[in-house]
Amino acid sequence: MNHVQPDYARKHPSPRNKRAAAVVGVGHTDWVGDWARCRAGEQPTDSYGYGIRAFNNALKDAGISRDEVDGLIAGPTTAYERLGELTGINPRWGGQADAVLAVAQAVMAIEAGYAEVIALVYGNDQRSVGTQYGGPEAMGGGAFLSYVYHSPWGLTSQGALYALTLQSYKHARGFTEAEMGEVAVAQRGWSSMNPNAIMRKRISIEDYMASPFVCEPLHLFDYCLINDGGVALIIAEAERAKRMTERPVFIEGVGRFDLNRGATSLEPRIDDFYLPAQQAAAAQSYALSGLGPKDMDVLQVYDSFSVHVPLALEGYGYCGVGEAGKFLREQGIGPGQKQPVNTSGGHLSETYMQGWAHQIECVRQVRGECGERQVAEARHAHYTSDVAGKCFSIIYGR
Amino acid sequence: MNAIEAKTPKPVMGLYDRPMWESISARAMRLQRCRACSAWQYPPGPSCPQCLSCELEWTEVSGRGKILSWVVFHRQYLPAYPAPYNSIAVRLAEGPTMITNLEGAMPGADSIGRDVRLVYVTMPDGMVLPRFELAD
Repeated sequence: MNHVQPDYARKHPSPRNKRAAAVVGVGHTDWVGDWARCRAGEQPTDSYGYGIRAFNNALKDAGISRDEVDGLIAGPTTAYERLGELTGINPRWGGQADAVLAVAQAVMAIEAGYAEVIALVYGNDQRSVGTQYGGPEAMGGGAFLSYVYHSPWGLTSQGALYALTLQSYKHARGFTEAEMGEVAVAQRGWSSMNPNAIMRKRISIEDYMASPFVCEPLHLFDYCLINDGGVALIIAEAERAKRMTERPVFIEGVGRFDLNRGATSLEPRIDDFYLPAQQAAAAQSYALSGLGPKDMDVLQVYDSFSVHVPLALEGYGYCGVGEAGKFLREQGIGPGQKQPVNTSGGHLSETYMQGWAHQIECVRQVRGECGERQVAEARHAHYTSDVAGKCFSIIYGR
Repeated sequence: MNAIEAKTPKPVMGLYDRPMWESISARAMRLQRCRACSAWQYPPGPSCPQCLSCELEWTEVSGRGKILSWVVFHRQYLPAYPAPYNSIAVRLAEGPTMITNLEGAMPGADSIGRDVRLVYVTMPDGMVLPRFELAD
């Protein structure tokens, strides 16, 4: 149903958006420490508390005070007004958004002159409060009918939706179980060098193949973590950003395209593998930035499940359609390999911050602050996500 | 709680879902077909996504379809579904895709593309579910 793209899929955003805004500060919470505390039965704080801790760290990183912030975007798990109350910000631009929409809205609000310095604040106490991503009370059912509609047939978990995707993708492309394993193995390779990562023990393809299925064909290692934490970014108008810091990281371009037709029956996932939307989003961001996949020193992919990675490699043009398996096997995405992907360890191994932590990894790689896992001379970092068919491409650069 | 006592997870029951579930209970599943453009839709809704017409007619499906994808759950999430159990995606001959279960066999490496036919299964709590079995 989604195979044919309309003409408007080839239109591009205004060039005014290119480098209109830059990230001037990033912050996060103690994922590793809070993981241990949550596992011990403690509740270190709530979603707002995680957001505030991350916000404080982002302000410190930016070297500014709260009073310079004139815009506030709250993540999806905290109510905008209450977060505004707790941050003490009376903004001239505000809203609520997930990670990609937050970055896109910040760029748009800044480009349009509605704000100059916007705080993006995310906090999530999903582990300590036991948020359910499957079962009879699956989170998100109000917004996504597919999360709950198939429950009479026993299918409710998010993992199951991506297991169906992987199964039909394997069939359509000849993609193998061992090729899928390359993603989890590579990301552990990265996380083993990341002191902020929760899972740091390296694994092999043999470990992957021997690990239990949860929802077959997905193995345990294909699933993201569920942990508590927060992330914050400060995004400023480009000229002001240059005055604020010597190391602004510009948003070079943002592209977006969504597949909604047939969404409840999962057609964009199991028929299209999100491909037409990824290609449209990629084309917008590449046209805007004047950059392409070959320019990207690091790629960060939203990885609630590992299958997002091969879909993204094909959809955003890192390899040909149908070639992701070969790419993963022969070129590689791990440390020292052709295309570094999810250099923090991602949702699978670092922290599950619903795409937010991927933004700060992009920023830190471009700044050159990643220590042992730093990709040499990284200038451009690319973030992609395709959650429930909403495909985004965000390019960061110096 | 064992599967005999377990309640089948309740379907989403919006205004337009009810007639479909009544037809399933009567073992003659009907879906909405657009009077203007003849397109079928699933899940049910107020209007036709193809042409936006609000003139829809409940029509019995042929019960024929093909397997698009499958999974096997190795963990139990729901009391009515002890592991292992399967779910499959079926493209109905009428066009729409349904998420359902394969009866009579577990899906495997050769399942995608196989022809299936609709069967009605009475769950331990009495609820009737539309499921599919291999037709070839």
